[in-house]
Amino acid sequence: MNAIIQNLSTPSHLPTTEEDELKGYGNLDEMGRIKGMQIPRVPDPTAFLNLYTDSMSSNPEAKIKLAHGTTTLAFRFKGGIIVAVDSRATAGSYIASGTVKKVIEINPYLLGTMAGGAADCQYWETYLGMRCRLYELRNKERISVAAASKILSNIVYGYKGRGLSMGTMICGWDKTGPALFYVDSEGQRLKGDLFSVGSGSTFAYGVLDQGYSYDLSDEEAQELGRRSIIAAGHRDAFSGNTCNLYHVRENGWEFIGNYDVSQQWYEYEAKKKAAREAASSEMAVEV
Amino acid sequence: MTLLAQSPMSLHDTYAAPVEHRFNPYSENGGTILAIAGADFSVIAGDTRQSEGYSIQTRYARKVFQLTDNAVLATNGFAADGKNFVRRLKQSLEWYQHNHHKQMGLKAIARLIQTMLYGRRFFPYYVYNILGGIEEDGSGAVYSFDPVGSYEREACRAAGAAQALVQPFLDNQIYFKNQQPEPGAEPFVPGRLPLSTVLGLVVDSFTSATERHIEVGDGIEIFIVMAKGRSPESLLDEKLGEGMTIEEVPPVGEGGEERTFLLSGPLKRD
Amino acid sequence: MECAFAITGKDFVLIASDMSAGRSIIQMKSNENKITPVGPNLAMACGGEPGDTSRFADYVDRNLRLYHIRNNFPLPPPSAASWVRRILAESIRSRSPYAVNVLLGGFDTTTSKPHLYWLDYLGTKADIPYAAQGVGMYVTLSTMDKWWYENIERREALDVLNKCVDEVKKRVTIKFDFNCVLIDKDGVHSLDLKSQDPIAELEAKVAAMKPSDPEPIIPSSDAPAIAAA
Repeated sequence: MNAIIQNLSTPSHLPTTEEDELKGYGNLDEMGRIKGMQIPRVPDPTAFLNLYTDSMSSNPEAKIKLAHGTTTLAFRFKGGIIVAVDSRATAGSYIASGTVKKVIEINPYLLGTMAGGAADCQYWETYLGMRCRLYELRNKERISVAAASKILSNIVYGYKGRGLSMGTMICGWDKTGPALFYVDSEGQRLKGDLFSVGSGSTFAYGVLDQGYSYDLSDEEAQELGRRSIIAAGHRDAFSGNTCNLYHVRENGWEFIGNYDVSQQWYEYEAKKKAAREAASSEMAVEV
Repeated sequence: MTLLAQSPMSLHDTYAAPVEHRFNPYSENGGTILAIAGADFSVIAGDTRQSEGYSIQTRYARKVFQLTDNAVLATNGFAADGKNFVRRLKQSLEWYQHNHHKQMGLKAIARLIQTMLYGRRFFPYYVYNILGGIEEDGSGAVYSFDPVGSYEREACRAAGAAQALVQPFLDNQIYFKNQQPEPGAEPFVPGRLPLSTVLGLVVDSFTSATERHIEVGDGIEIFIVMAKGRSPESLLDEKLGEGMTIEEVPPVGEGGEERTFLLSGPLKRD
Repeated sequence: MECAFAITGKDFVLIASDMSAGRSIIQMKSNENKITPVGPNLAMACGGEPGDTSRFADYVDRNLRLYHIRNNFPLPPPSAASWVRRILAESIRSRSPYAVNVLLGGFDTTTSKPHLYWLDYLGTKADIPYAAQGVGMYVTLSTMDKWWYENIERREALDVLNKCVDEVKKRVTIKFDFNCVLIDKDGVHSLDLKSQDPIAELEAKVAAMKPSDPEPIIPSSDAPAIAAA
């Protein structure tokens, strides 16, 4: 880590030897700029990338199928922030994985969610974690959620139009209290109370909007997050398998649990049926 | 004279159709790989056929490579990219060993593979990677990657041409998906199967995939990485399948810790 | 999809903009402020490619503020508009252009005249008394043509603006919420379109302020978002 700080704090130094190029983080040089990102020598690299990769199912003929397809949601309420996601990754119509971790634990008090290209989210949010740690070391205080999300937004905006695909929510608790930002690869960055991102987001909104209130209790809020993901997993073929639930409080995030989507769905249905039967038997007693 | 007197028509034909120049650096070379993690071992396997379209280029091309004493990588997809990637990765790992006087841990190799793949985000390596080996805590591990570097630790993974044939079988046999324990019996715990069972599953996966997929066959290579202290006798005692041979792969580093074995055998060649 | 319009009057400019933000058919936010104050008596409504808009507004804001700091006076609206136009014109010829359409309104304290500029991403600039951008163009320009007149007073101008808002809500299939600012010699003030008499409220607010207060008034709606951005 010391080496990284040293590298980052020596300005106007250009890598000259191969050894210099080994410094930095992955494809980033010692200044934290992006370097060594190889680009095909063709007139239009973006068109090249779109021809051979399929990151959003928009080009199913493409050879290289990248994992994608998602439902993620997060909302702010009086008890903090609830973050709930599904765990399915699809490549074309093949379910590439049912155990994906779509909540990226940036550090003990910041969470990021994953929608769009799995690698884009994983890689840049990991890098964001590194930048946040450097901020802490330099400023002797934690970075605000606004600043962290702006770092991420600035990075992806630098790649706008080049084919990155990510829609992420940066969630955390800072001096201003619980904060939630939506950041996407278009360069959009929105502060808000409630967001849902991904192919199943419309279905999640349908449950979430109807049950949302700022004054929800912790249990009610967790249940709302879980129920919305289950609803999306049930309706959206690109979402499903399991639901991961997190709760962000003042002292950091906490993992609440992992729930099987189809199992939960049948439990909800059974509960609904039982409630209806109870109601009708009450009616019968009244009559 | 007659040799030089080409018909003007055929000369003309050369220019009849416009020559299309499109940069296409990718091909698809078939084959399948898979890896399964056990409690104190990891099994990484691949077939040896390399094809392009309907023609077989070679019946023996390696897809599985020993990286360190505790890590083995299987690559699948475009063979040339795979070869190049493995070469670059091995070089990185060698530099690491020279600089740090130790081999890179499995977790760190996984992250290194991510950054290397992501470095080609805009000109991807058309390669699906599965990394298997022994974690620093002694447990068997499998990491699977997509072509641009997203990765995840899992108990098992199949990739390549026959992934859609093999993965559901593995889900059922390794993760016990859609299985119910008998009443009164202990519940299933994934990742605790004995090595002999796992090897049986691997061989069955490949023989079955060979039966149903044209791009799979010719030969199978199974790398077995064993944690420190685990006796390899269970492996040597195993009654090997017909034509199968087993050898110990010499350590890359100083050795004496994890041991790697290579079990190879024939698959149908039609 | 966005919608903004602006009207100049005797000694002021009114700018209204929608507040929606989202992806394709999904609205993710209905209270996103799109009117950025870019000087003590200058404000800008931005529409266009998401991402580009907020960054372009930031860029203009910071550069005009730098000019203000260096020269101890702000760039007057006509010069600011020329500068913004040049940035857009250079941008469209660059490798990554800003796809942003702008309404720039300001009050020139040196000549005591209001100014309104219509700019698009190609670098087109028009100096006009009333203007619209986005889908609002198709339904509100005629409204303003009919009811606007030279040296219009504040309340009448606000009536015209409300007619435009009503027309958009009536004829455009997408639902919009609007926020509004008024720029005059005292600064950039936000107006609450839902209140009974926003002009009276504004006058009361200005009267309550010390006359020597050097701070420009920043639109209060969603102020933290502006500060964060």
